[in-house]
Amino acid sequence: MIGYYISLALRSLRGTPILSALMIAAIAVGVGASMTVLTVNYMTSKNPLVDKDDQLYAVQLDGWDPNEAYNRGAKGNQMPWQLTYRDATALLRSDIPKRQVAMHKFGFTVSVDDAEVRPFVAVTRVTTRDFFALFDAPFQYGGTWEKSADESPKQVVVLSQATNEKLFGDKNSVGEVIQLNGEAFTVIGVLKEWNPSPKVYDLNNGHFQDSEELYIPFGLHRKFEIHSWGNNNGWNSDIAKGLTGYEAHLHSESVWIQYWVELENGAQKREYEEFLANHIRQQKEQGRFQRPLKFALSRPSEWLVMNEVLDHDSRVLAWCALAFLLVCVVNAIALLLAKFLRKAPEAGVRRALGASRQSIFVQHLMESSCIGVLGGIAGIGLALLGLTGVRVLAGGGFDRVAHMDWAMVFAAIGLAIVASLLAGLYPAWRISQTNPSIYLKTQ
Amino acid sequence: MLKMHNIRKSYRTDTIETHALRDFSLEVNEGEFVSVTGPSGSGKTTFLNIAGLLETPTGGEYLLDGQEVGNLSDRERSRMRNEKIGFIFQGFNLIPDLNLFDNIDVPLRYRGFNGKERRRRIERALEQVGLSARAKHLPAQLSGGQQQRVAIARALAGEPRFLLADEPTGNLDSLMARQVMELLEFINEWGTTIVMVTHDPDLARRAQRNIQIVDGQVSDLRQSIAQQEIATA
Repeated sequence: MIGYYISLALRSLRGTPILSALMIAAIAVGVGASMTVLTVNYMTSKNPLVDKDDQLYAVQLDGWDPNEAYNRGAKGNQMPWQLTYRDATALLRSDIPKRQVAMHKFGFTVSVDDAEVRPFVAVTRVTTRDFFALFDAPFQYGGTWEKSADESPKQVVVLSQATNEKLFGDKNSVGEVIQLNGEAFTVIGVLKEWNPSPKVYDLNNGHFQDSEELYIPFGLHRKFEIHSWGNNNGWNSDIAKGLTGYEAHLHSESVWIQYWVELENGAQKREYEEFLANHIRQQKEQGRFQRPLKFALSRPSEWLVMNEVLDHDSRVLAWCALAFLLVCVVNAIALLLAKFLRKAPEAGVRRALGASRQSIFVQHLMESSCIGVLGGIAGIGLALLGLTGVRVLAGGGFDRVAHMDWAMVFAAIGLAIVASLLAGLYPAWRISQTNPSIYLKTQ
Repeated sequence: MLKMHNIRKSYRTDTIETHALRDFSLEVNEGEFVSVTGPSGSGKTTFLNIAGLLETPTGGEYLLDGQEVGNLSDRERSRMRNEKIGFIFQGFNLIPDLNLFDNIDVPLRYRGFNGKERRRRIERALEQVGLSARAKHLPAQLSGGQQQRVAIARALAGEPRFLLADEPTGNLDSLMARQVMELLEFINEWGTTIVMVTHDPDLARRAQRNIQIVDGQVSDLRQSIAQQEIATA
């Protein structure tokens, strides 16, 4: 019977093209507007590390100014988001975590012995070797560097797929040499395409920026006097007294290193927490960490919330969009009611010929569903238009999140069907309850 | 076939209660052709609606084909209506958007027949009313008499045992009315029980039995027909 109801629905829609178009438009506009906002919210609130959410932790230590808590970010825990270089190198000595990463953003000028490739500035991640395994960055060729390169300078580099494509075409470039700021670096690995969004491992420098073009070992800091290209906050200029230049920077209270650990179970986590507490106690003895002992291990999902990747305004906007959809549904209810009641005589005839109230109800609900499917398809078109508008208005800042994936396409159709079913419930119920004998005599 | 005992039907508004049928009792046997006459507002259509399970009585007992129908659910009443009862209306009540084939298909769909069986029944029904060649026409493309024949075909396609006709010739000229009446008589000869409401005493007389409804009750029939004949003379 469902097939029969669908054929009746399509016939009915063809029979009243203007009214049908208005109803489809009402649903489409509501779905289009809400899906534009919901898509942006959905894409921004995704956690690309969801599979390891109970194993990965961002590390925070409260070594900030004893007179004033670190207070940046409304949902923060009043601790610096990053660590000092001193603390990061101290934590790296722990063998408790399965994997651990100290890292930050930097940039190099890249050149190769190929006249056709012009030198360019590449955004670089300076990191320890576990970065790739900890964040599931897949290799196309080669692999990461040896552990010794995290402590002593070794001029090796891992390229992103795009950088490898730009420098060497599609070929395996492992073993090739490239120049970074005029220094020779050997390519030891090439990643597959990898672009987690939001960029959960570094939310200090834009939530939706592309992942880096190059990756070099953490042990190169002193040799190249590498500073951070990202946020860099400090409070105590006296701490590095007696030191000058880059060494003073490395020993300062400036926080600029992002730190993540991978802990396999609760016991390991408790052991690591004890390790962090001991580290702070030791530092206190040296005059640092003058605030009450405090540290934090935050899961990726918590980290996204604390960093306000999906902000309050976006949530309010999502509710507004759904409210707008509700207005469209109310409009559709009025139009459906008018259409269905005009067809009440036909429903009366069908009742006389053996249709139960339920049959009449389902038949008309099916017509609502057809309107929903058509409205959903049109709504997807409008949402794509809306997302294009978002991308244009954001000036490139939302390029990676303002697009629909298949899940959102199906969600749009689902939303449209649910909206149209809600819109159709009352009109379908009304027509199924009418007394057929009234229409049979007067038709 | 049909047995009504002390059937009552009243309609209530905020201020008025109207008694459409009062202690209405009637029995129609299998294979009978019964005509029902009476003045406007006497309760003929109410009787027909109750007989056709389109309305429920306020009180009394109604047995259709030996089954008490008072306590049936809407689904059971609909199924019984679909399987046992055929309707013919004064206004034909064809669905204007559907061609003749699809109009006749409507009750068969609710019956759950497969496509092959539906086609067989529709083609036979159209043949019985002489409209096989017009299967793809819309109702608006037919004359009134032809539309009524389609309505009869639609009623016949389900092979009902009980046919209810409400003023089936009321919208037709005398020639077409005669054709429709002959068709009904023919159907009755096949064994279908027919109850026909009419204002026309000539048609009423052609039935095997006539009853008259006055003020919601069955009245003395012979006397009433005689009165009508005097009036029309």
